[in-house]
Amino acid sequence: MRKLRFLLACLLLVGVGLVNAQSKSISGKVFSADDGQPVIGATVKVKGTSLGTITNADGEFKITLQADAKTIVVSYIGMKTLEVEAKNGIVIKLEAETSQLNEVVVTALGISRDKKSLGYSVQEVSGNDVNQVKSDNFITSLSGKISGIQIKNNTNFGGSTNVIIRGSSSLTGNNQALFVVDGVPVDNSNDNNSGQTTGRSGYDYGNAASDINPNDIETVSVLKGAAATALYGSRASHGVVLITTKRGQTTLAKTMTVKLSSNLTVSSVDQSTFPKYQNQYGGGYSQTGYSSAADGSAYPGLEHYADVNGDGVIDYTTPYYEDASRGQKFDANIKVYQWDAFDPKSPNYMKATPWVAGANGPITFFQTGLSTTNNIDISGSDKNSTYRFAYTNFNQTGIMPNSNLSKNNAIFNGSYNITDNLKITTSANYVNTAGKGRPSTGYNDNIMSSFRQWYEVNVDMGMQKKMYQLTGTNATWNRAAWNDGTAAYWDNPYWLRANNYETDGRSRLIGYAQVDWKITKDLKAMSRYAIDTYNELQEEQKAVGSSAGEFGVGRSNVTSGYSRYTSAYAESNFDFMLNYHKAITDKLDFSGILGTNIRRHQKETVYASTNNGLSVPGVYALSNSVDAMLPPEEKLEQIGVNGIYGSVSFGLENTYFLDATLRRDQSSTLPAQNNAYFYPSVTGSYIFSNAIKTDWLSLGKVRLNYAEVGSSAPALSVKDTYSANAPFSGNSLVTVPNTKLNSDLKPERQRALEGGLEMNFFKSRIGFDLALYKNNTIDQLMPVSVSYATGYSSKWVNAGEIENRGVELSFYATPIKTKDFKWDIRVNWSKNQNKVISLFTDEAGNKVTNLEIASLQGGVSINARVGEAYGAITGSDFVYTNGQKTVSSTTGRYLISSTNDHVIGNVTPDWNGGVSNSFTYKNFSLSFLIDVQHGGSIFSLDQWYGSGTGIYAESVGSNDLGNPKRNAIVYNDPTAATTALKIASGYAPTSGGTIYPGVLADGTKNYVRVNNQTYGADGWAVSPDAKFIYDASYVKLREVTITYNLPKELYSKLSLTNATIGIVGSNLWIISKNLPYADPEASQGSGNIQGWQSGVMPATRNVGFTLNLQF
Amino acid sequence: MKKIYLILIVLISAVSGCTDQFADFNTDKKNPANVPGESLFSNAQKELSDYVNNTNVNINIFKLMSQYWTETTYIDETNYDLVTRNISTNIYLRLYLRILTDLKESSKLISATQVVSSQEAVKQNKLEIIELINVYTYTQLVDVFGDVPYSQALDVNNVYPKYDDAATIYKDLFARLDAALAKLDANSESFGSADLYYGGDVASWIKFGNSLKIRMGITVADASDAALHATSKAAVESGSSNCFASNADDCTLKYLTSSPNYNQLYVDLVATGRHDFVAANTIVDAMNSLNDPRLSSYFTQADTSTVAGVVKLAYLGGPFGYLNSFSQSSHIADAIQKPDFPGIMLTYTEVQFYLAEAKERGYNVSNTAEQYYDEGIKSSFAFWGTSGVDAYLATPAVAYTTATGTWKQKIGTQSWIANYTRGLEGYTTWRRLDYPIFNIPSMKTSYSEIPVRFTYPVNEQTLNDVNYKAASAAIGGDLVTTKLFWDKY
Repeated sequence: MRKLRFLLACLLLVGVGLVNAQSKSISGKVFSADDGQPVIGATVKVKGTSLGTITNADGEFKITLQADAKTIVVSYIGMKTLEVEAKNGIVIKLEAETSQLNEVVVTALGISRDKKSLGYSVQEVSGNDVNQVKSDNFITSLSGKISGIQIKNNTNFGGSTNVIIRGSSSLTGNNQALFVVDGVPVDNSNDNNSGQTTGRSGYDYGNAASDINPNDIETVSVLKGAAATALYGSRASHGVVLITTKRGQTTLAKTMTVKLSSNLTVSSVDQSTFPKYQNQYGGGYSQTGYSSAADGSAYPGLEHYADVNGDGVIDYTTPYYEDASRGQKFDANIKVYQWDAFDPKSPNYMKATPWVAGANGPITFFQTGLSTTNNIDISGSDKNSTYRFAYTNFNQTGIMPNSNLSKNNAIFNGSYNITDNLKITTSANYVNTAGKGRPSTGYNDNIMSSFRQWYEVNVDMGMQKKMYQLTGTNATWNRAAWNDGTAAYWDNPYWLRANNYETDGRSRLIGYAQVDWKITKDLKAMSRYAIDTYNELQEEQKAVGSSAGEFGVGRSNVTSGYSRYTSAYAESNFDFMLNYHKAITDKLDFSGILGTNIRRHQKETVYASTNNGLSVPGVYALSNSVDAMLPPEEKLEQIGVNGIYGSVSFGLENTYFLDATLRRDQSSTLPAQNNAYFYPSVTGSYIFSNAIKTDWLSLGKVRLNYAEVGSSAPALSVKDTYSANAPFSGNSLVTVPNTKLNSDLKPERQRALEGGLEMNFFKSRIGFDLALYKNNTIDQLMPVSVSYATGYSSKWVNAGEIENRGVELSFYATPIKTKDFKWDIRVNWSKNQNKVISLFTDEAGNKVTNLEIASLQGGVSINARVGEAYGAITGSDFVYTNGQKTVSSTTGRYLISSTNDHVIGNVTPDWNGGVSNSFTYKNFSLSFLIDVQHGGSIFSLDQWYGSGTGIYAESVGSNDLGNPKRNAIVYNDPTAATTALKIASGYAPTSGGTIYPGVLADGTKNYVRVNNQTYGADGWAVSPDAKFIYDASYVKLREVTITYNLPKELYSKLSLTNATIGIVGSNLWIISKNLPYADPEASQGSGNIQGWQSGVMPATRNVGFTLNLQF
Repeated sequence: MKKIYLILIVLISAVSGCTDQFADFNTDKKNPANVPGESLFSNAQKELSDYVNNTNVNINIFKLMSQYWTETTYIDETNYDLVTRNISTNIYLRLYLRILTDLKESSKLISATQVVSSQEAVKQNKLEIIELINVYTYTQLVDVFGDVPYSQALDVNNVYPKYDDAATIYKDLFARLDAALAKLDANSESFGSADLYYGGDVASWIKFGNSLKIRMGITVADASDAALHATSKAAVESGSSNCFASNADDCTLKYLTSSPNYNQLYVDLVATGRHDFVAANTIVDAMNSLNDPRLSSYFTQADTSTVAGVVKLAYLGGPFGYLNSFSQSSHIADAIQKPDFPGIMLTYTEVQFYLAEAKERGYNVSNTAEQYYDEGIKSSFAFWGTSGVDAYLATPAVAYTTATGTWKQKIGTQSWIANYTRGLEGYTTWRRLDYPIFNIPSMKTSYSEIPVRFTYPVNEQTLNDVNYKAASAAIGGDLVTTKLFWDKY
């Protein structure tokens, strides 16, 4: 990959050479002088031209050159460039570069720069680092590989990935990094609706940057700080992920390379991220109260009121309509008419079956997921043109039945030199994605929230499957009553997956046309028009006969429905850039850029749904609505930004570097009087190793920069409008929206200071890059939450300040390097300290100290709170007495704080890090990556409800007296007049119940037992939110890759030039975590609402097999 | 080379030409910037009825608080958990955001509309009707929370609205009500069909205003503030001269049969397919003991037999605040579960009981307490289409002279029964008169734990904390057990 980067640079900087008709051909071989290994991918060029080739897997090359050409230039990144005489059969030995001074990296606007001259932090990974693991979203593969970027891989099949660079800097806006592919900004929005992001219900449709095909990626370059991104203008204030795609390269003779690769990946549930259930107590909320001795019942946890089989005797039935497991203790001698006894097709029809735990638990519901990736990649060139065509097909089935994701990605790019000084380049990338049966997210209508929160462990999943297969109906365990089979709250999961699902599709075109014109030796011009456009359709269907759930426009509860969301997106960018570069003197180098960027963005969405259910079952069409449709939700967002920018760069003696940039943007989203704004940056670096000549220090560089970046408002936040509701009997109903807009908005600003130190020892055997930064974002554009008594829930303001300070360290070393064996270590570590400094002060001087990002189920909210890191989780806390958790002296439960505004956690982690080790031995290579997050908190709604409903394994077992916890509490004096007196008399040795650690209100150690016989022992409503806050830390074995380059003898007769096979594992093992039964990274999707889990999918372990062939 | 310069020129002019529609980009093309004020009023009326008649556990739990209904499996609300589902927050959201703001905007737009002089009275009527709804809405807030933002509310430039003293708010509401009634002109029209309650009939609105005045007067009858007590008496007395005269005067929203214009009760009782609510034993036991014929209008019967093959139908309410079996308890009557069951705002029946109470309180109203009491029961029977009211009134346990207890118990119990489904009214009656006798739910241990108010929205603690704290201190603590200013006993 480096050769390409180099070549790109050559193309840009050197231009295109002349070609004569007369030519000759020579071949040769390139070795490393260091270890004698062949150098693969070294660039071999004819001096004075851009014509060249690269070496193959054996270091061999063959090049055609003009008959009169004398010299070829051989180069490879990290090695000294060598000029040698052009003669056939030449053997070239390249020596290692004494430093990495000549490394070329891609920076803002796609400008390739010498890394040594940069005064800011850029970190690059190769395409190989992100395309080994085949997944639906390459972004997940960046986790742990770059410092300062926090990637959250959620567990939703096809779900969205949260990408935050250097911490959240916008209080309410989009904090996601910008993705730019070959200079074209690529939309990465996540269209999940507010009901989905706040954990109610819906699907995670993923983020749009997942359309980028990892197989097309040559390099990924991450621009972290404002100085690095300043030239991109307002949209890049959260960092940029710059992607350079693969392409062909000019060669004198016509060449063509064909690569084929195939991958098969198998996914299975990581059981450490799924609940372990108790198997001792069955369905119901209480061991008593469903029937009584007066009814002749011996088992008060079972219903005993109906003569089910008509034999004149009252029978036992399950409290089917319940969805907890705090009911009657299992006993195989009790025969109960369970949910499967009422359908004539059931093998248990009219049979009372033993009251025991279900033979097959919810884990059996999951299947093995499979994905295949097939890729063909054809590239080639001749003296004036290059091309690359690639097609990738990705197909994946999930661990839930009836889920499928497929992508077809075709790319073509090519370049043609019209004259020596004029080159045209064009690229078109078409992506078609189709999804079906993505898992539901959130609380409602989600199989996972049933499995994690609301379940009866007497249910046999195998029987659920069988009954669905036998009847084809919603044969749910959660019947409304013994004689009423409609679903109370939960559907048969097999029927649900087969009938209630979403389908989605997006077809997208990303492309550009570019002209590069070398006006003079020093002055070049580039003009490019780029588009990114897609149409997306998301359809959701809910079959007649489903349990009721929030659905469609207005999110009312319905038992069937159909909805469709369409989105038409288009963004165009026109860029024109002049680039001047001149060595003014021997020592002073100057370059300057002057450019303009014209951006036009439009997104139009329509969301429509049936109203109050489907009229005819099975017809999923808007016209099949029971009631007249509600007005569809329509949005049209248009944004225009006109930018001009310039930069100057000076390099003195290849040691001192100074850059300055200035950009002015005019944004349509701001009021006309405030819509133009400037932002500057200044960067400097000093290579101090040039002053101290030693053997061990190969490079030493310090850098420092300051930048300001502005951000404009989202579209339509300036002028107030009204919104219309459905009319009532011909009368129009209009309402004032909940958010007050603001016609005085001005741009948000970020001020960023960054310093860094890069050192490299012993010819790159060991080195590090350290960055320190401090970013303050002020005048935040945000809809600040306000007291509802104002008549609004929020109003747009410019206020507040958020600070991100951090340290990033990238360290690399090659401890062992011999002829056959090499060991490389890479470590990335970053710590970002985020702090909300101020929020909003009103005209009277009152200060808002808390900004609610989201109010979520469980009484918790996610907030920006002054003095805390972004993402403070507030909710009810324990009541502390002398620092101890206080327990109620009557119930034995923890006392709950009277208010819900206690800070009980924070989403923001303390630090993230990754360590990768790779070993190469001859043709084998092995690498593994360990990815770590330390700190951060999660509120688990799953635990909050699941602990209440008594489904988890730890809700049973023995108490401190050695008796079953769920036994009744027995007092020494059961006849005492009040509960308090009974408690005072002490507990009998046979007593059940548990003692929560803590103290009573008087400070003495708690001895009061909690009654576990019924709902109310733990969990929701009876425990503080703080009890369900968990540490989100994890240590994961993120990736393991084993590849083997097949010996050439095996394939040399097949006209193959290279063949490798590989085994790739991802997310194989969560080495350590503190959150029970779930993956700490699981969430409802990307965005600012993190740190809260409800009904999340288990994580999957993925093992893939890859075959790569090159012709 | 010249060609290339030409290309450059074209490109640069293309760039500069891009700015044509720039200024228009940020105009919302999908939502109106101008609307008639009447459409906001209609919306507020619907929102208000949707709120008052709701039984969603996230929004309006007064039908549970008044122990008309109880829950089956999820018994959080019947055990007075107001926080988990942010019920108070939702009340603020509905009343301030959706209703009072739309009313304010409606009033503003209608005021600003230029009309010909012949239409001035119509315009005036519109503004005063809006005012009546404003007063009605604020009483909903005060009667639930006590002190609430009032004088500084609905001003987005003041994001920290202070809380006003509840009694002071009431005084101002009385004044606003009187001012509005004085300006209403029954000889002119008003909103016409845009008025979803009375079709623009101003005479009905005048009766509504007077009836509301009676309700407010009785609500604050026990207030210790002497001036307010005097206002209470004056309000009831003046209101009684032109208040509702029959059930035909009731203020209701005639819901339609289809979504979203059906009664919100239908959503939670039928459309969701959920089985969350059954009759509470509190009211069923009380009515059973009185052999109240309205049971058949209020509830269904449940099979209470424990013998196989034998059906024994009876009205059986689920123990309030306990886990209940849906299938073994009486359900809410089918008529109430119809999508077009009317949204009830204020009724003649209700007013009759207030007047009975007024008489007992020594207010100067025309009839005897017994006459009002009987009329209240009769009109309730008529409303529900139940026969047998004369026999019922003759029952010693019902007849005003012979029924058990003080006037508070008699009126409290019968008005609570008569005002079935009227959650907040039932709850307020209990708070003011301390009758009927409620049950203690499973997770509470004493009668004194039954809330007498709602705690403030959780987000007021964070968004308006200084004023929240001041209000909490002023009312004696933001607790469910802090009594409102009118709840002396």
